[in-house]
Amino acid sequence: MKDRIIKTILILIGVLFTFLMLILPLAIVLFYALREGVVMFFSAITEPFAVAALNLTLLSTGITLVVNTVFGMFAAWTITKYRFRGKQVLTALIDIPFSISTVIAGLAFIAVFGRIGWANPITEALNIRIVFAVPGVVLTAIFVTFPFVSRELIPMMQAQGNEEEEAAALMGAKGFYIFRKITLPKMKWGLLYGVILTTARAMGEFGAAAVVSGRLRGRTNTLPLHIEMLFNEFQLTAAFAVSSILVMISVIILILRHVVEHRMKQEEG
Amino acid sequence: MYVELKNINKQFGDFQASRHVSFTIERGQLIGLLGPSGSGKTTILRMIAGLETPDSGDIFIDGVRVNDIPAAKRGIGFVFQSYALFRYMSVFDNIAFGLKVQKKEQAFIQARVTELIKLIGLEGMEKRRPHQLSGGQRQRVAFARALAPNPHLLLLDEPFAAIDAKVRKELRAWLRETITKVGITSIFVTHDQEEAVEVADEIIITHQGQIEQKGTPIDIYRNPKTPFAAKFVGESTEISAYHQLPGFEQVDGFDRAVIRPEFVRMTKVAKEIYPHASGRGVIEDIFFRGNALEVRVDLSGEKITAYQQLDDDAFEVGEEVSVLIHRLYLSNEQEVRMVENLAINHVGSVFI
Amino acid sequence: MSFIHQMIHKKQKNVIPGFGLSMGITITMLSLVVLIPLGSVLIVLGNYTFAQVWQMVTSSQALASYRVTLSTSFVASIVNVVFGILLAWILTRYRFPGRRILDGLIELPFAMPTAVSGLALTVLYSENGWIGAILTRMGIDIAFTPSGITMALIFIGIPFVVRSIQPVIEELHPQYEEAASILGASKTRIFFQVVLPEMLPAVITGFGLAFARSIGEFGSVVFIAGNIPYETQVTSLIIMNHLDQFNFLGATSIALVMIIFSFLVLFGLNVLQAKVHKMAREA
Repeated sequence: MKDRIIKTILILIGVLFTFLMLILPLAIVLFYALREGVVMFFSAITEPFAVAALNLTLLSTGITLVVNTVFGMFAAWTITKYRFRGKQVLTALIDIPFSISTVIAGLAFIAVFGRIGWANPITEALNIRIVFAVPGVVLTAIFVTFPFVSRELIPMMQAQGNEEEEAAALMGAKGFYIFRKITLPKMKWGLLYGVILTTARAMGEFGAAAVVSGRLRGRTNTLPLHIEMLFNEFQLTAAFAVSSILVMISVIILILRHVVEHRMKQEEG
Repeated sequence: MYVELKNINKQFGDFQASRHVSFTIERGQLIGLLGPSGSGKTTILRMIAGLETPDSGDIFIDGVRVNDIPAAKRGIGFVFQSYALFRYMSVFDNIAFGLKVQKKEQAFIQARVTELIKLIGLEGMEKRRPHQLSGGQRQRVAFARALAPNPHLLLLDEPFAAIDAKVRKELRAWLRETITKVGITSIFVTHDQEEAVEVADEIIITHQGQIEQKGTPIDIYRNPKTPFAAKFVGESTEISAYHQLPGFEQVDGFDRAVIRPEFVRMTKVAKEIYPHASGRGVIEDIFFRGNALEVRVDLSGEKITAYQQLDDDAFEVGEEVSVLIHRLYLSNEQEVRMVENLAINHVGSVFI
Repeated sequence: MSFIHQMIHKKQKNVIPGFGLSMGITITMLSLVVLIPLGSVLIVLGNYTFAQVWQMVTSSQALASYRVTLSTSFVASIVNVVFGILLAWILTRYRFPGRRILDGLIELPFAMPTAVSGLALTVLYSENGWIGAILTRMGIDIAFTPSGITMALIFIGIPFVVRSIQPVIEELHPQYEEAASILGASKTRIFFQVVLPEMLPAVITGFGLAFARSIGEFGSVVFIAGNIPYETQVTSLIIMNHLDQFNFLGATSIALVMIIFSFLVLFGLNVLQAKVHKMAREA
């Protein structure tokens, strides 16, 4: 009896916390997005600047996914399949973007390509703009989510061990052949999981983008930046309408994430 | 000789896995590397395979120094402890892998894999995935996969560790038989002395990174060269005050002794044959071991284990019995010496 | 025997082929994306004297921002530890309707763009927001105060703590507690003396991850903080302000402080973790 009461109280506290801290913020986005009606909602999300921002966000997320998936696979393969000195250091270096503020990520690219950057004379001579242009936005998105794929893959590949790969190598198989035939099928769910996390984070990236984009409406504005701009102009409904697109994508990502996690557990068991 | 290791050393951090390891193996032999866990036996196997690189020393296979030859070019088949079957490939594709890598013709691969599947008795299971097989079947597939490219030397790391005790005995006999049939020189690693004794032509005992002894199972059992070999192979009890045992006296330089259950004979007090060579012990415990009884007896403070056949005298716990120890291995840090019960011969000669 | 000879022999050959290529690609990409840009921050800093940098990092506004950042991050992470343990516990040990949805919702702060979260929280806690209106009547201000920042940091930090602790509770076999209860220990005693010590390393990890993330957090904080110097200006915001005014000296100096600080947090976390492990082994 006493146990039941404790259990109920604990669950109630947990649910209340979740409701206040997580559900209400989610609900308020949808509520405000629709509070001036569906027509306002649609005009806000189909407005040209919003569409341009969505396109840029999708473009930057897409490029980030490709680059970081390639990197994540190579990094995880290098760290888990070979023995070498300095492995700890390499792992720590890869994890740097996790531990520093996104604003600093943006600053780092300004320090390379900005007015004060050492690469500025080169890009100017070639007539390429990096900072306050699309490449800057893409680069910071890559930076911020750089370790996501490898972080998912490394523990998984370590747990799976190297015996299958060693067995294949003993029979004379080449590195890429081993990767394609043996390692890739084993890590596909972990890879997908990492890709989903990367997508979520790359799409929502704000701090770094705020630093390097220059916020040129319709050109270098990503969706989160566009939202901030609408908020600062007191267009609350529009800001929330655009936010709701991102929220819906996040919810889809959450569901996908759960499905993939479930599949991973099944494969293990 | 076919495989030769010369003064091999290997260190992992501050752990010395191999110290001055040297031994040779003849062609066609089935060798068991036997030792407790952490004794360096698996490291030796992995160095022969090329999965580890020795810090110093040379490895020869068929007269060729292979230290600088990559693992894949050494002509070795390797069966991993957990088999390391490719989980996303069928039984057929697993066995065919090595042949495909070698770019053999399709027809040849088909024929060779079929032959091997027949050898391991898994006809009809070609399309199954590893997780659909039992432990014993997986082991057979791993074995066939290692054999497929026709290696000259087969290495097996704890081949029975992942198998149920029930099936293990059956598989041991099968593996021994099949290896003999194929005629391939083989080395397997095990920590189970019973397994080593039953399967191997010759046993190499490893301990703390060193080779303790190499020889046939019977040879090692009868003439252990080191204290460790004496204790590790066969059941044994180690005692220090061996001079107090009836029929034995202190030998200079040997501070302890190993008693095997086979060295001990127990009878009812009334049936005692050699009174001078025997002592009185009290039965402490009796365990039924299927085909015999294992009896623990307290002989003036020393706990000794002995076997009793089911049709021998039946004892009860607490009963006083006559205990005759007819042989001992005396040992010190370095060597082992076998001594017989002096009183038996002495008394015996009087009777004649 | 020569040293070089020994070196050659010591070298462990890797069995799986392709080391050079994959290591090369990994290092190259890492350098291009992370190491060179971060190194460039140091290059820019090299243009200034130590006195200039020191003046920037010790300016009263900067010092105030460290205080705001650290105190709000600390409080938020402590709150998250309490609720994180509770949530992890009910999610793994109890079965109740809606558990799976609750479990999924924990990840929301990971998936939701920080700017959206920040915006939602600001409106929620502003004077006439759903919660803010109630609190204002009670005389409590949340939005545009350090409390608001703390709220935002609780939001973004909670999944780190829950997800660190959950696997440990899952692994912790109920038999363990059953054994203790058979021995006559009360439920609370079991929790504090048996379960909590087992969770401690995971709790520390969760706290550390949430704390590190909070210190660098920008998107969810920027709206609700209100950018009031000395009061609600977090350190990331100061860097942003300096950049908006093209004050590269200020931006890079304070960025250096933040980078050093995050490394200290991670390092401290590792040291603490090692100590706890050592204690657990000795106990």
